[in-house]
Amino acid sequence: MIAYSARRLLQMIPLLFGISIVLFAVIQAAPGGPEGALLESGRFIDPAVIEAYRERLGVDQPVYIQYLRWLSAALSGDLGTSFSTTRPVAEMIVERLPATLELMGAAFLFAAVVAILLGIFSAVRQYSWFDHLGTGLSFIGIAMPVFWFALILQLVFGVMLGWLPIAGTQTVGASSLGDHLLHLVLPTVVLSFNYIAGWSRYLRSSLLGVLRADYIRTARAKGLPESRVIGVHALRNALIPLLSIIALNLSSLFSGAVITETVFAWPGIGRLFVQAMFARDYPLLMGILMLGSLMVIVFNLVADLLYGALDPRIRYD
Amino acid sequence: MSARVTIAITRNRTAVWFLAGLLGGCGPGETPHHPENVATNGERKILRIAYDREIDVLNAYTSQMLVDISFSMVEGLVTTNDRNSYVPVLAKQIPTEENGLIVMNDDGTVDMTWQLHEGVRWHDGEGFSSDDVCFTWRFVTSTGSQTYNRDQYLGIIDCLMPDEHTVVFRWDDVYGYYAGLFEAVLPEHVLGGMTTDEIVNYTPYNRGPEMVGTGPFRFAEWKSGEYIRVVRNDDYWRGGDYPAIDEVVWAFIPDSNTRLNAMKARRYDYARIEPTQVAEAERIDGYRVHLVSSNSFMHLDLSLNTERARNLFGDAAVRRAMFHAIDRQAIADQLMQGTVRLANSPINPTSPYHNPDIGQPGFDPQRAGRLLDELGWTLGPDGIRQRHGERFSFVMINRAGQADRIAVAQVIQAQLKDIGIEVKFETLESAAWTNRWRNFQWEGIVSAWYLSADPSITSQYLCDGPNNMTSMCDPELDELLLASDRSLNFDTRKKYLDDAQARLAETSRMLPLYYNVIPEIVNTRVRNYRGSGTNFGSFWNLYEWRLNR
Repeated sequence: MIAYSARRLLQMIPLLFGISIVLFAVIQAAPGGPEGALLESGRFIDPAVIEAYRERLGVDQPVYIQYLRWLSAALSGDLGTSFSTTRPVAEMIVERLPATLELMGAAFLFAAVVAILLGIFSAVRQYSWFDHLGTGLSFIGIAMPVFWFALILQLVFGVMLGWLPIAGTQTVGASSLGDHLLHLVLPTVVLSFNYIAGWSRYLRSSLLGVLRADYIRTARAKGLPESRVIGVHALRNALIPLLSIIALNLSSLFSGAVITETVFAWPGIGRLFVQAMFARDYPLLMGILMLGSLMVIVFNLVADLLYGALDPRIRYD
Repeated sequence: MSARVTIAITRNRTAVWFLAGLLGGCGPGETPHHPENVATNGERKILRIAYDREIDVLNAYTSQMLVDISFSMVEGLVTTNDRNSYVPVLAKQIPTEENGLIVMNDDGTVDMTWQLHEGVRWHDGEGFSSDDVCFTWRFVTSTGSQTYNRDQYLGIIDCLMPDEHTVVFRWDDVYGYYAGLFEAVLPEHVLGGMTTDEIVNYTPYNRGPEMVGTGPFRFAEWKSGEYIRVVRNDDYWRGGDYPAIDEVVWAFIPDSNTRLNAMKARRYDYARIEPTQVAEAERIDGYRVHLVSSNSFMHLDLSLNTERARNLFGDAAVRRAMFHAIDRQAIADQLMQGTVRLANSPINPTSPYHNPDIGQPGFDPQRAGRLLDELGWTLGPDGIRQRHGERFSFVMINRAGQADRIAVAQVIQAQLKDIGIEVKFETLESAAWTNRWRNFQWEGIVSAWYLSADPSITSQYLCDGPNNMTSMCDPELDELLLASDRSLNFDTRKKYLDDAQARLAETSRMLPLYYNVIPEIVNTRVRNYRGSGTNFGSFWNLYEWRLNR
């Protein structure tokens, strides 16, 4: 497994290099440039200022020159300076990561617990009213627009009931741990709803397959209690495909949730990405997208390794 | 203290809309709503603002955004008040010929003397002086300062300092817009000795710790993606009574629906909302919606940028006929729900330079059709007018996400279709739209620009004006615009600008639709709020805001 992991890690280098070329080209292909942000304020801008601005940022150079500059800096650990804030990109990303990790982590944890419980009950009581309800809610969860669900929850729990705060991570001037946790509730629920819907379906399907297996019948024939049959023998095997999917989804821990973070004014990577996109902040966009790409590759590897660890039948050559 | 009068258009449930002279925020008989629905922090008075964006940097000259937050900490020689007029801040008065502070020199140059307040100190205790003003001038005019209106400062050829509290700007000629410059002064003792590029990129000033100003509030904290917090400047030069608030927090809430929900939950004292949210916001108890007259006007621009556009719009009579087909009143009353007022010129009615006597083509589709028939544009078999085999069809580019402009464009599209003109839409993401606009690659747009309180409209309508992207040129108008920019006397300048506004209408240069409003919702416990629709925003007088308990 160590040799396999090392080989995969080495393969990442050319892969990331290729990804960086594609990303840089795609970002540059988008019409307009960072000078558009100057006009976004609705003020008239001195055209000479626009030209000087482009020159200072280096976007007046051919794309390949810009890419080579970015690459040589990135190889020495410098992800560049944000066009709009004039701050180091790495610093801006690191600053936003904790909020994204916290929100995504909470959402994953909550989703995993609820999805596993829902999946088990749906599978064990297949075609019961609970199963039908779970199926219906899952479809709703998958289909429901995130922003709409978020606004409805804000309206009900923030405005009508007044139980929960609506935006941000704290009440400035009156913050505490409890206040912060209350701010976390709504975005976590919104974000996890979609995961719960998908994951519970996976587990249900997987568990239904396992429950019909011979070794489950054998376990029952031995007189094991049903809770042990389900909880130990069936669930461990049924969880394998789900865990690999969760591992793949974990990459989004670092890239954030664009819509949820925007609607709840959560200061994470997803919102930073939106700001960078509208400002055509090329270095910041590259930094965020490369981080996201790296995490997808890493968690792909994690998923593969996890699969092997959980299923002894899988061998790495 | 200046008179507490605001031109904010205030709307309530009983009156449709009216100009109100608001005395100190809320009217008699209203009960100020108790502090927002959050825990209090001892006796500190905290003003919480639900702000629609996160700014990029605090440097008012290098920011690409409207930096009204910065003006709570940084002051300039002047600011723009709620009546769309310049008022002195760090200067004792604005120079005019009448007060003798503008002197014409024999060599054609002009000296303008600015007398500065004494006893003003920066937040770090250093004294404010004329050195800081001249340093600001040197920075702004340096190449690469990326100040959006740097060209307007280039007429100043020297900055003289007769003493610590007097600055004389020597101009190479007369420029009518002089009074609106120097909206902020930079601290030389912090930024002096750096190159322009170093100042532009100097993070300690751009983001906080070394952001010192002379304003009523001092920088306290900028939490990335969340908020900016400023605290009271106990050493403020206006005296111990100011400011009356201990802290101001601008929370960045980009989603307009979330902002409205946050206001409904009474978690903030102030927010800007969308015109379509006004009716809903008016139902929030303890808050009042103010429709602040914005210094921008929504208009339909046509261009001569493409061969097709030149064929279609080259004749002013055709443009006039088209404008007769557009029901501006319906757009204002129905689409904008009566929150806006019809526009007749680019210069806002809040400006003393506005010409109220200008008429625009009235809604008369029959007449529009008749005029087009007479001009040879007759209805074709597909219902679209044509002349010499060319169909009357053009493309309008829209900026994605700007729902109000797109809705207006859709109305125009439908109404022009009724008289046999086809309008095709191309919706572009903001940066792409700007790119097309800047490069003269468009035929029609619905647009609005923020103008400063200075009435100059030269850059938009001069033949080679830097912001004239229509390719239209009117030498007669050029003469009026240039003459207005060279006038220091109010009456003379107004005459030129009155004529220029009339000329724009006569030549059907564009169709003014309505003057924008900015709906702002404010907790009734906030006193002395006087909303302003210029690029200084409503925080221009934050030093005198008060919070009732």
